This record gives sequence, C-alpha cells and structure tokens, in this order.
Amino acid sequence: MFGLILRRLMASIPTLLAVVFLSFFLMRFAPGSPFDGERPLDPETRLALDAAYGLNQPIIVQFGRYITGLAHGDFGPSLVYRDFTVTDLIWTGLPVSLLIGALALLLAMAGGIAIGLAATLRPNGPLDRSLMLCMTLLTALPTFVTGPILALVFALWLGWLPVAGWGDGAPVYLVLPVLALTLPTMGAVAKLTRAGLAQIMTQDHIRAAQGRGISGWRLIARHALRPALLPVISYAGPAAAGLLTGAVVIETIFALPGLGRYFVQGALNRDYPLVMGVVTLYAALIVLFNLIADVLYGWLDPRVRG
Amino acid sequence: MTAVLDYRNVTVAIEGRKVVQNLNLAIAPSECVALVGESGSGKSQSWMAPFGLSPGVAGGEAYLCGEPVIGADAASLSALRARHAGFVFQQPLTSLSPHLNIAAHLTEAFCQAGAALPDQDTLIAALVDVGIDRPAERLRQFPHRLSGGQRQRVMIAMALAHRPALLIADEPTTALDATLRREVMDLLNRLCRDRGMAMLLISHDLASVASIADRIIIMRQGDMIETGPSDQILSQPTSDYGRELLAATPRLTDPIPVRPVIGAALLAAQDIAVSFPMPGWRRPHLQAVADASLMVHEGEAVAIVGGSGSGKSTLARAIARLGPCDAGEVTWRGLPLPPRAKMQAHDRAGFQPVFQDPVASLDPRWRVADIIAEPAHHLGRGASRQFVLSIMAECGLDANLADRRPHELSGGQAQRVAIARALITDPAMLILDEATSALDVLVAGRILDLLRRLQRERRLAMLMITHDLAVARQLCHRVIVMDQGRIIEQGDTEMLIRAPHTDISRALIAASQ
Amino acid sequence: MSRVLNALPAMLVLLILAAAWLLPPFLPWDYRIIDWDHVSSPALTPGHLLGTDSVGRDLLSRTLIGTRITTMVAIAAASVSLLIGTLWGALAGWCGGRIDNVMMRIVDALYALPFMFVVILLMVVFGRSILLVFIGIGAVEWLTMARVVRGQMLALRQRPFILAAEAAGASPRFIIFRHALPNMAAVILAYLLLTVPQVVMVESFLSFLGLGVQEPMTSLGILVKEGADDMDVFPMALLVPGGVLVTLVISLTLLGERLRDRWAA
Repeated sequence: MFGLILRRLMASIPTLLAVVFLSFFLMRFAPGSPFDGERPLDPETRLALDAAYGLNQPIIVQFGRYITGLAHGDFGPSLVYRDFTVTDLIWTGLPVSLLIGALALLLAMAGGIAIGLAATLRPNGPLDRSLMLCMTLLTALPTFVTGPILALVFALWLGWLPVAGWGDGAPVYLVLPVLALTLPTMGAVAKLTRAGLAQIMTQDHIRAAQGRGISGWRLIARHALRPALLPVISYAGPAAAGLLTGAVVIETIFALPGLGRYFVQGALNRDYPLVMGVVTLYAALIVLFNLIADVLYGWLDPRVRG
Repeated sequence: MTAVLDYRNVTVAIEGRKVVQNLNLAIAPSECVALVGESGSGKSQSWMAPFGLSPGVAGGEAYLCGEPVIGADAASLSALRARHAGFVFQQPLTSLSPHLNIAAHLTEAFCQAGAALPDQDTLIAALVDVGIDRPAERLRQFPHRLSGGQRQRVMIAMALAHRPALLIADEPTTALDATLRREVMDLLNRLCRDRGMAMLLISHDLASVASIADRIIIMRQGDMIETGPSDQILSQPTSDYGRELLAATPRLTDPIPVRPVIGAALLAAQDIAVSFPMPGWRRPHLQAVADASLMVHEGEAVAIVGGSGSGKSTLARAIARLGPCDAGEVTWRGLPLPPRAKMQAHDRAGFQPVFQDPVASLDPRWRVADIIAEPAHHLGRGASRQFVLSIMAECGLDANLADRRPHELSGGQAQRVAIARALITDPAMLILDEATSALDVLVAGRILDLLRRLQRERRLAMLMITHDLAVARQLCHRVIVMDQGRIIEQGDTEMLIRAPHTDISRALIAASQ
Repeated sequence: MSRVLNALPAMLVLLILAAAWLLPPFLPWDYRIIDWDHVSSPALTPGHLLGTDSVGRDLLSRTLIGTRITTMVAIAAASVSLLIGTLWGALAGWCGGRIDNVMMRIVDALYALPFMFVVILLMVVFGRSILLVFIGIGAVEWLTMARVVRGQMLALRQRPFILAAEAAGASPRFIIFRHALPNMAAVILAYLLLTVPQVVMVESFLSFLGLGVQEPMTSLGILVKEGADDMDVFPMALLVPGGVLVTLVISLTLLGERLRDRWAA
C-alpha cells in the first residue's frame, strides 16, 4: 500500500511540472502586460516596474526562479493586487472554494449512492426507470443554467434564500451554490452505482451467496456493494476535479469570494503569479484527489493490493 | 425412507420457452445421481430454476427433504436452500466474493443454517478436510491469492460446512486443470460417502461421472432421454443418443487408430524460450517456456499436452510466430523463419492455425466466403468463389452458408469455416490449439472425424495442443508432455500411455480414462 | 406511446437543428438589429414571438443563431476529438507494451491537468476566436475517446479473430483498418454522440465566463449569461436559451447512452 502511494506521488511530479511549465510559458507569450491599466505608463516607470518584479530577465531565468520559489512554498507576489502575495490571496480564497467543493462532493456521493441503491431494489421497475431518467437529466444540466434558475425560483420568486453573496459563510448562503454544484455529480454517481450493482448482481459469487440463503439487503450490503462501488471510486477523483472547475462558475454566479474568481480576474489582468499559483494548486489538489481515490480503491478491492 | 430430492414432472421455462420438460427424479440419502447432457440440454436449469437461482420459471412439484420447493415464497425458499442444500459451481474463479477473505466465506457457510459462530479450529479443520495446505494462513487470504483448484476446494468446504442433506455440484471440475479433475472429483465422492450425503452431479461428460454416480440421467433439449444405473448406461445404453454420446467421447481404451506414414522433416524448433513481465514493483519475469525443442515431419501429427499454465499454447504460438518468442530458432523445410514482426504472408502459408473458440476466431462483420478467402487474398493470388466452395464442401459445409456471417453459424459450423480458411493456402501443417475442447461432445467428435480425414487425404502434418490425451491419441503419432514451461517427457503415443515416466503424465492419463 | 417516447430525443435534436439552420432568414428581425421601440419586451410582442432582450434585440433570432454557433463548435470540436482520440487510442492499444505505457501516461498526465483552466488560459492568451474555442475543447475531449478506443483495441487484440487475421498473413495496417476499427465503429459512434453534449457544455461554459465567441456573434452560453444578469426583471431571457441548451444536451445524452448500451455491451 505504501509502495503504491509512493509510486503515485512520484508519478505525479512530472504532471505537476508540466502544468507549471505550460501555464508559465503560455502566460508569458501572451500579448499584453500586467501593468496595462486605464492609461499607458510612461516607459521609465514601466522599466522600473519590470525590473522590480524581475520581468526584464531572460525568461528561462524567470522560470528557474519561479520553480525555486515554488519548492520553498513561495508563489511570489501578486502583480495586480499590489500589497498581497499570491499565498495571501490563496489563503483567503481557498477555504471558500474547498468548503463548497467538499460539501458538494459529500452530498453527491451520499445522495448518488443512496439513489442508485433505491433504483436497484426493483430492477427495471417504475421507480428504477423514473429515477434513472431524472439522473440522466441531472447529469446533462450545466451548472451555469441550474445555478441561475435555482436562484430565480428559490431566491427571487419564493424568497426563501438569499440570491447571492457569501454572508461570512452563513449556512443559508451556501444552500443554492452547493446544490447547483452537487446535482450533476450526484446524477453521475447514482447512474454508476446502479450500473455497477446491476452488473455485480449477475455474477457467480452472488448466486453462490444466494445458494447460502443470503438475500435482500444483506446480500447487497455484504456481497455486492463493495465491488459495485469500484467504478464510483474511479469516478470520484475526476469528479472532485470537475467540482473545483465547476466552482469557478458557481463563484461567479453567486458572487462568492473563492479562488475561481481570483483565477478568472487574474487571467484577464495578466497577473502571472496569481494565475500560475491557482493552476499549480489546483493541479496538486487533483493529483491528491486521485491518490485518495486510488487508496480507497485498494481498500475496496483486495486484488489491487496484490 | 423419503427421498432427499424429489422431482415430479418438473418443467422450466425461460421467457416462455420451455427448456426442461417433465423431469422426474428421486435422490435417496447418500445416493449420487448424475444429470448428463450437452449445452442447451437444460441440465443446469433443471436445478437452478426450481431452487430460485435463475430467472427461469419452474412448474410441477419438487421437494427438498419433504418440503416443497416450487411455489415457495422467496424467503422460505432461501431458508430451505440454506438449511438443506450446498452448491458447488463450475467457475471457482468467480464464485467467491473478491473482497471477503476465506475465513469470512467459511464463517458465513457455517452459520447459514443457524449454527453458532465457528471457532478458528473448526474453520481450519474444514480446510484440512478438503485437502488445502497451510490452512491457518489461507483463512486470512483473499480469493485472488488462491489457485483455481484451491478455490474449488474452498467452495466444497463451504458447501459442506452446514452439513446439508444434498450437495448439488454443477460441472465442478470442468473449469479446472486436466491434472486436477480426477482429484477433485474423488474428493467430492469421498466426502459425500463419508457423510452419507446425497449428491446431484451435473456434467457434460458421461464418462467422467460414471465412476462416481450411482445412477445417470441423460438429457437432451430439455427431455429426459435415458435413465438407469451407471454401469448399465455405460455398457449398454438403450437410446440411440446415449450410444452416440458414448461413442463420441474418445477414451484411452479405444482401439489404436491407423495413422498415416511420415515423410521428411518439416518444422524444427530449437531451444525456444518465452517470458512474460509480471505486474509488480520490481517487474519479475515469468518464464512461460524454457529450452523447448521439437520437430514435426511431413504427415506427422504431434501433440503437446499439459495442464493449464504449462506453457503448451505459448510454445505453439512462439513457433507459429503468433506470440512472443524471446530466444530460439524455428526452421521450416530447412529455412529459418523470420521473427514475428517480419513475417510475410508467404512465410505463413505453409502452416495455418485453428483456435479453440470457433465463433470468436471469425471476424463477426465478414461473410463466410470472405473469411475463408482471406489468407489467399494476402498471398496476392485471391481465391475464386468456385475454389472457396470446393474447400467448403471438403470441410462439410453447405454452399448456402457462404454468404452468412459468423453469428448465424453453430459452433461446429464455425470451426469447419476456420478449418476451411486454414486449408485455402494448401498448407503442409495445421496447428490445432485446443480446436475441439470448446465444442459439445458430439460436435467435437465430428470435427475430429473431419481432421482425421484431412490428415489422411492431404497428408497434413499437425501440431496439436490439448489437455486431453485421449483426443491427442486419435490423431497423433507422438506426444510431448509439458509442465511449468518445460518439456518433461516425449515419445510415441502408445508407448507413453502404456508406460509414463512422470507424475504429470500419469495424472493426464488418469483424467482421460 | 413508449415508441414515441423513445423517438423523442432524436426528434427534438432534429427539430432544434432544423430551426437553427433554416428559420432565421424568415424571421422579421435579424439577431444583430436593435428594435428601439421594444426593449425588454415580453413574449408575443408583434414581430418578436419570444420578446426582446435588454437592448432590444429579438430573443428568438438570437437564440436560434446562438444554437447555430454552439452546435457548429460542438460538431467541429467533436470531430477533432474523434480524429486525435481514435488514432492515439488505436495506436496505443495496438502497439501495447512500452509504447502503450508511455502514450497512456501522457493521457493520464493530461487528465490530471485542470484542463478547463488551460482552455481559459488559451482563450485569454490568444484572444477569442471560434477556431481556438473548438481546438481547445477538442484537445480536452479527445482524452476520453483515446481511452475508450485503446480499451476496445486491447480487448479486440485478445479476440482470436485478430490473431487469425495475423496468421492469414494480414499486415498490421490491414488488421487495424479492416478488422479492428470496423468492429468498434459502433462504440466509437456512441461515444462521439456523448462527446457532443460535453462539448456543448464546455463551449457554453466558456462563453458564460465571457471567454467564448464575441459580440455581436452569440452562443447559447452568452445568452444564458445575459439572461442570468437580468433574470429578476425578464426571466424569459434566461429560460428560453437555457431551455434550448438543456433540451439539446439532454436529448443528445439520452441518444448517446442508448446507442452505447445497445452496442457496447
């Protein structure tokens, strides 16, 4: 198990380096500069600014310095939010993004698995069919459509919940963003659970267990559920990544002070260190999620443990 | 004394189609009854449907230890199964839950009839009873660590744990290695006799159950064709079907067949070695074949026999340049064969393979005539329709099959198409990779007849991979026995059968008797 | 009844496509022209069947043109993903061994990228153009196709008929193009159909963030964004393009899933 984790971590280093490399050079080859404001700067100020942030050095040197900083946990200064380092900005935005992301992931997993189980009770019955149709609808609904529509119905028309905003993390402000983020992933999890169970229930070891007089919930819980959840677990890593990306939209729609908003703003303003910092962080998070999914997979399936 | 299992006019239907009709049987305590039939005979459905283990709908009356099985609701049927019956299935590899260890499986089996939790010693004793080594260690292991034979032993231990009145074993040895079949069958027999348990044995192989079963029932397409005591059915079956079935199963006791004369050297393989990388941290290599040398002459048939994992198929594929080959040289009519990646169509024309699964070895999207003509197409000469039809006729295929697709063919027809494809280049040698072992007994018998005729008429050499010595004996001059990647014994077929030198050979002979 | 229900997704897709591509020339108001007399007017205003947006442009026209752009981008990007994904996956699956390992490591590494962010970067860096939008999206979506095709190829390689073709003297190219690819065509088509709604979502997502196509061109994502901005006064502007987008995506998903279940089994 430790070997597996270690190998995974080693294998993720090239991926992370590739992300840093790609985003670094993409940003630098782009036209425009972080200091293009409302009016053009005079050339001297411009040169001074470039020198202050090291932008006048050869690009390879800049990249090397960035990597060195990164290795020490230093993401560099923000070029647009002048008095902040990227690390400061990440620490303000990350808790918000992580909170809604984690809540959505938990809800999607719990809800999806429960719905998948309920649908399996009577395969191809009316409950199964209608639930699965609903789940397909959910997976097909983009968050940027469900988000505004949820806000329209529950905030504007019914007035039960606030339209947008953070409200210092008060629970009522979280309901709509988390719900909009949860629904598509929940649909996918439910469908995977249902498909996994349907496939496992036809297998020999299930029939053998039935021969031993095990049936109903005990059969599913003891013999079917764990192998049936394997595809769900494989999906959980990419799903977590998808939730992080989806959070960008949700944060825009519901005006939440998360990382996604900093990212979009940073990209538009050419705030190189900020954009790079967010991309690198997210890549690292995705690697971490996939690692957790692998470990869970090993727990569910002894064959992987070897 | 009441019967343990009592069937009265049992019928089974799947989606409205009758697959078992009016089956009557009664199994007395400590009696063993075998249900024998080909695939599609309804032999498995005849127990699965009444016991509620398949979607089939059962009719008629069936009693397990005096209690009705058909018509019982799911809960009481489930309890009835758990109390009085134990099951052993064909597929030991998939019949254990992959995420539960052996101890969990056995505990569940012990408790299924309401007994208290067994202690460690009881579990160990159960494993010892079925001949599993290092039982204490095995208890903590998960199924994937056990070999197929060990898993089937665990299944047997589980089926017997709660001391059921009836054991149902559905093809318990079919998926096992040839060298293990006899052993597992004897184990089942011994345990049932010792415990006075009744057994219902399901099999496609009449001869393999004959020594164990007290009575045999032969089924065909859902009907009971013949029933009677084993020795009577084996010595003088009353139905035509029973006689056919018996005749189609090759046995080592059959008279020695006439084999064609042998010519000059055709194929020689020298010091073949093949290894596969194994998954894992340091990537060790599995030596699948080592230092294997063999020779085939014109018109000569040579069998490579061995258990699964002995490397017999790997060796044949390495020689035929259809699989990896790390070392060694192969010469064809005195000239060296190029490595696999460099083989041209004309290099391959002289020897053609026929594989185990006939339908799967034909491209599902191609028509029969195109499939048969493909090798000629790659040689650049093509084959006229007339020529294809004549080869088809030689292989016993009707001309109207020429435009069919593989899924419209029966297994026997598909294998004939594969043989016809192999013959289109007029090869000097066929490589038969378990070519009859996936087929039903009667069909396999006819394919063997066809191969024998081709061997005679075309003076075809053959390299035959099989686990069944009796099948090999039908065609082959010589036999090569392999174990763990090495050739451990070879010689004239009759000599080897009469005086084997190794335990593996003796086990293979026992399995074919 | 159930036959009608089964045919519904395909009918809806055809209906939306036909309307988007055939109807606009016959509408009284072009999608770019501002009707100063009717700004934010409700549905059934004379000349504007579905009303107008907050600057007075015909909502029906804009929705249809937006659908046209969105479907165009989707089809182009799905084709890009089909081409790259099939070739990459077929090659990796066919070669196997070390080459397969390296090729799939690359796919895994790309999967681990926060790809949406890279696409956003691309848009920001190289400016917004339709071409870039679909190249960027196609470059993301080919990964799944490559995995599917590789899996199919690996499974097919184990099938004896591929080995039989090799024994018959067929060249690797003949085997790949005449035996292997035709046998997975159905699966590829099903995944292609499933890719299209994915692409529609990504394109709309980018447009929603203001990184897709530019004014006065429009797409469903832009329309949803505009609609969301003034949904409190004029919900139609959100519900109409949102409804079309959702219908399109759901219908395509249902179609693709049905084909996948039927053929991939």
